[in-house]
Amino acid sequence: MTSAIIKTLIGGLLAATALSGGAFAQSGPIKIGVVTPLSGTYTPIGQQVRWGLELAAKEINAAGGVAGRQVALVFEDEEANPAVAVQKAEKLFQVEKVDFLTGTVNSGSTLAVAQLAERNNKLAATTVSFADSITGDKCSPNMFRVNARAEQQSVALAAWLAKEKPKAKVYYLGPDYEMGRSTVAAFKSSAEKTGSATGGEVFAPLDSKDYTQYFGQIRATRPQVLYTSVAGNDTVRLLTQLQDFGLLSGLTVVGASGTVTSQNITAIGAAAEGFATGVGYSPQIDRPENKKFVEAFRAANKADPDLYGADSYGLLFAYKAAVEKAGSTETDKVREALRGLTWQTPQGAKTIRAGDHQAMQPMYVVRVTKGKFDIIDNVAAENAIGPDACTRF
Amino acid sequence: MHDRLTQSMRASHLLALLFVLASLGLAAIGAVTGDTFYLRLGTEALIFAGLALSVDLLLGYSGALSLGQALYFGIGAYVSALTLMKVPSFWLAMAAAFAASLLAAIIGGLIANRVRGVYFALITFGLAQVFAKVVYNTRELGASDGMIGIPVIEIGFGPFSVSAGSPVGFFLVVLSIIMGLYALTAYLLDTPFGRVLTALKANEKRVPFLGYSVWRARMAAYVLAGLIAGLSGALYPMLRGFVSPELMFFATSGNAVISVILGGVGTLIGAIYGSVLLVILKSIIGSWTEHHLIVIGALFMVCVMFLPKGLIGFVRPRIEALLMRRPQAGPALAEPARLTPAALKSGSAS
Repeated sequence: MTSAIIKTLIGGLLAATALSGGAFAQSGPIKIGVVTPLSGTYTPIGQQVRWGLELAAKEINAAGGVAGRQVALVFEDEEANPAVAVQKAEKLFQVEKVDFLTGTVNSGSTLAVAQLAERNNKLAATTVSFADSITGDKCSPNMFRVNARAEQQSVALAAWLAKEKPKAKVYYLGPDYEMGRSTVAAFKSSAEKTGSATGGEVFAPLDSKDYTQYFGQIRATRPQVLYTSVAGNDTVRLLTQLQDFGLLSGLTVVGASGTVTSQNITAIGAAAEGFATGVGYSPQIDRPENKKFVEAFRAANKADPDLYGADSYGLLFAYKAAVEKAGSTETDKVREALRGLTWQTPQGAKTIRAGDHQAMQPMYVVRVTKGKFDIIDNVAAENAIGPDACTRF
Repeated sequence: MHDRLTQSMRASHLLALLFVLASLGLAAIGAVTGDTFYLRLGTEALIFAGLALSVDLLLGYSGALSLGQALYFGIGAYVSALTLMKVPSFWLAMAAAFAASLLAAIIGGLIANRVRGVYFALITFGLAQVFAKVVYNTRELGASDGMIGIPVIEIGFGPFSVSAGSPVGFFLVVLSIIMGLYALTAYLLDTPFGRVLTALKANEKRVPFLGYSVWRARMAAYVLAGLIAGLSGALYPMLRGFVSPELMFFATSGNAVISVILGGVGTLIGAIYGSVLLVILKSIIGSWTEHHLIVIGALFMVCVMFLPKGLIGFVRPRIEALLMRRPQAGPALAEPARLTPAALKSGSAS
């Protein structure tokens, strides 16, 4: 067995050297590494990331590539575990010699990969993680974010809520982990600024099967609005149980952008009616670019794009614009080109703020009507972005 | 004068020597080709081998299945990370991880060693899950995001120093630490203390009649295993520059148990081979298909069905036979005749 291990290792080493030999070639394809969850709880998100990137790569390649070079995507499964993400990202940087990296979903993975990118002097971007810290106190000169962060989402939603239900009493129900707590805290501060009152808050464990144990508390405070930031199958259980207990009548349910998505909306069914959230993207956005994107996405994947798919799709065009502006794939030049870059995406023009590498974009408030998200309000990019909290660069 | 255990441990030592030689050879190839990824993957495999070693010490010797050994690995990793962020000293981080995992293992041992068998497995599992959840929700420890920003340190050995950022340098440091832990464990198991542990696994009820304290022996094994896991964990943030609560999750403990079963329970060196094999398999198959868990699960089942004693458990008897055939084994051949009546007696009594 020892010899088998040695053979595998030597094989690997030879493959590594063979690949590093070809890395100097500037004419070959531009390689973009994608470290995203392809197995486990976050698979549906990884799937959207993959579809979005694949569609963008196909379109870019058909139109002549990036600065005349084709784009090649290299996928690795990160299992939503930072320890795996870092190992796979290192493989992509060192063995596959990718020029750029994206795909991380949970913020722990994004932060760990940002540090790895710094140590490998490469650039990376996230299209999914929305923890404020990634472009805030833990910002990295090598990490960019093209999706809306938590603060942008909550500012947009709170602005709408203040118009729709002024001075409402809000109850908060979040998943019991750091991200859940920080999304609740962020929305609470936005909502309190616009005049809402806080009825109470409760945190349920991830993967809770039974939310009815919290319903007594919720009913006792008689809120007009329930804010929740649970996601995936947790939302299915929470909303259907709320409906079964008759708590949804007269209650406006609002939440984080990942709470109700195209992945779980069918499973929630009628219980999702009226749910409102602040998002950076909706397939409903009435722009010709978006209609074209949604059609192409549907044709390729037999599914609607959600915010993850659209933001991932948009990212490749930002990278294309930056590389063509920089005239190179070198880290320092591309970083300079990405800073302050304005480019077109299906959801409108986005601009990467140079100070913290956070994309500024118009925000929308969407509400579920007859099983579909409808856009009911929007907030301009400048009003939703919030202050630059990054002090590292 | 060699008994069966010493005989098989000699075979394990030979396999350990082979392992070290193979690692040094590969490290040399890696250094010459300027490789980074494979050397660092190998380093990570060795770090998790330390965790597997601690599981094998419990499972293979005292017969206690720990499903929460990642608890001590995680404590070692977090304490080392916190120390390194304050003072970037390798030795201080290792000392802090040693102290923290010693304390944690004593407390954990006092709780877990009140029960046996499946209850022990459940208690260790529960302890690790509870602790991981606490870390997961403690903002001061980075909560679910973990902690980044652990500096790349210089490891000083007297006049020499090795950077943890040097792939081959740090690989050799980790290799010597893990093999040192292996040697220490193997030595302790060869002392009377080790024989008491083996006796515990064979028949716990008879041990007190021989004048030994069952509790004390179990406790000592548990604390030693906790220390090995903690010291291995302390190396993780030096390699990867971050820690996250996933390091304490069941997936980490479970992988260590799989490594031990794959390599061979009760062989010590099998845990190390098994862990290296598992990390490499996961990396290769993971890049090849997203259904890697199915492939690894199937391989594991095949291994359990056809190699129930693990890879090393399968190889080792052949090496033992080779060692026996050598000339100095001549007088030892007379031993079995004298041993037989005792062996028969213990067989009939149990």
